[in-house]
Amino acid sequence: MIEFLAFPFFQRALAAGFIVAVVCGALSFFVVLRRLAFVGSGVSHGAFGGVALAALVGAPPGLGALVAALAVALATAKASDDGELTEDTAVGVFTVAAMAIGVVAISFLETNVDLFGLMFGNILTVDPKDLLALGAASLLVLTLLALYFRPLLLASVDEDGAFAAGVNVARMRLLVLVLLALTVVVALKVVGILLVSALLVLPGAVARSLASRWPGFLLGSIGASLVMVLGGLFISVALDIPSGAAIILTGTLLFLGGVAAGRLRRRT
Amino acid sequence: MSVAVRFEDVTVSFSGRTAVSSASFTIPAGKRTALVGPNGGGKTTLARVLLGLLTPEVGRVAFLDESGRELPRPRIGYLPQRSTLSPQAPVTGLDLVGLALSPGPGFGMSRAVEAEARRALARAGLDEELATRPVGRLSGGQRQRVLLGRAIAGTPALLLLDEPDTALDAEGMKTLRRIAAEEVAAGRTIVYVTHDSDAMGGADAVFRIDGRVVEEFHA
Repeated sequence: MIEFLAFPFFQRALAAGFIVAVVCGALSFFVVLRRLAFVGSGVSHGAFGGVALAALVGAPPGLGALVAALAVALATAKASDDGELTEDTAVGVFTVAAMAIGVVAISFLETNVDLFGLMFGNILTVDPKDLLALGAASLLVLTLLALYFRPLLLASVDEDGAFAAGVNVARMRLLVLVLLALTVVVALKVVGILLVSALLVLPGAVARSLASRWPGFLLGSIGASLVMVLGGLFISVALDIPSGAAIILTGTLLFLGGVAAGRLRRRT
Repeated sequence: MSVAVRFEDVTVSFSGRTAVSSASFTIPAGKRTALVGPNGGGKTTLARVLLGLLTPEVGRVAFLDESGRELPRPRIGYLPQRSTLSPQAPVTGLDLVGLALSPGPGFGMSRAVEAEARRALARAGLDEELATRPVGRLSGGQRQRVLLGRAIAGTPALLLLDEPDTALDAEGMKTLRRIAAEEVAAGRTIVYVTHDSDAMGGADAVFRIDGRVVEEFHA
C-alpha cells in the first residue's frame, strides 16, 4: 500500500484529510460541548440546497454550499435569539426547506449531478484548487477559533457567568454557527453532506469520554479526528471501499473504544 | 470606587404580562441593599435588568459614581439562584474563574489572573485541591462556592446575589456573610434578592417589590 504515497492524488488526499481533520476536530469540541450535533447535521444538509441551486445557475458548488449553510446557520441563530423557536426546531425547519429547494433545483437540471459524490464525498478526487480553497477556509476557521476560544468556552459552559463577565453571549452563539457553516463547506468535499455531521460529532464525543478538562478534550478531539480521517483514508485504499464511509466507521470504532476505556478508567 | 444604581421608570413584560411596572428607585453606593417580595413579584426580573440580561420595555438603569456622574455598566459579580454551570463542563473552578476574569482572546490565563482566581476561590472556601478539580466531581454546594468565587473575583464594584440563602448551604452562607461585610467595608455595593432581608446579616436599604416598588426602607 505504501506505493500509493508516491501518487500526487494520494498526497493531495492526505493533505486535505489532515486539514479537514484538524478543523473538524477543533470545532467538534464546541459542537459536543454546546450539544449542536443536530444543528451541525442540519447545516450540512442545508448545504445540499445551495449546491443544487449553484449547479442550476452555473455557479461554483462550494459557493452555493457556503451561502446555503450560512443562511441556515444565520436563520437558526436569529429565530432562537428572538425566542420564537428553540434552536433544534429552527434548524429542523430551515434544513428541510433548503433540501426541498435543492430537490426542486435538481428537477430543472438537464445534466446529471453526482449525488453520490455530494452525499458521501470523495477525498481521492481533491485537486490542487480544492486544496488551496480548503487551506484558506480552514485557516480562517482556526484563526477565529483561536481568537475567541476563551469567551466561546465560557459562554459554552456558563452562559450567565459569561454575560456577567461582559461576553456577548448571542454573538458567541452566532460565531459558533458561522464557524459550523464554514467547516461544513470545508469538509463537504472530503466526506460529503451525509457524513460531515458525523465528523463534527465523533471526534469530540471520543475525546469527551476520555478527558475531564478542556485542554485534554480539545487536543483529544483533534487527535481523534486525525486518526479517523487519515486512518480511514488508508483503510479505504487498502480495502478498496468508499473513503467517506471508511473515515466514519473508523471514528465509530474509536468512539466505542473511547467509551469502553472511559468506563474502565472510572471503575479503577 | 462605589457604584450606585438608579432604576428609572423600569417596566418589563413577558408575553403581554407585566412583571414590573414603572419601578423607580436608587440602590445606594457602598451599602447592602435587599430586594424583597413574594414569588413572581418581579424582584429577580429587576436583578436581571440590572445585570443586562433583560432589556426593559420602558425606562432604563443608570450606574452612578459617588459624585452622581453616570458610568458605563461596570463589571458585576453575580451569584445566580440556579446555576447555568453544567456539571458536565470540562473545567475546574480555577479554569472557570480565570475565564470569567479574563474572557479575552487566546487560550491560556496570565499568572496575575490565575493568582486572583486562586485568591477568590480560597475566600469562597475552596481549598487548592477542590479549586483544581473538574466541576463535575464537586458536590452541589462546592459548585455554588465556585460561583461565589467567580462573583467576587477581580473585586467588582457591584455584587449581585440572587437568593443566596437558597443557593448556598449553611456553611456557604456563613462564608458569604463574612465576605459581604468585608466588601461593604471596602466600599463595594451589594444587592441581594431574597425573601428574608436579614439573610445577609441585615440590610442598609430594603425595597419591597410586588409588580412595582411598594415600599422602601433605609436604615
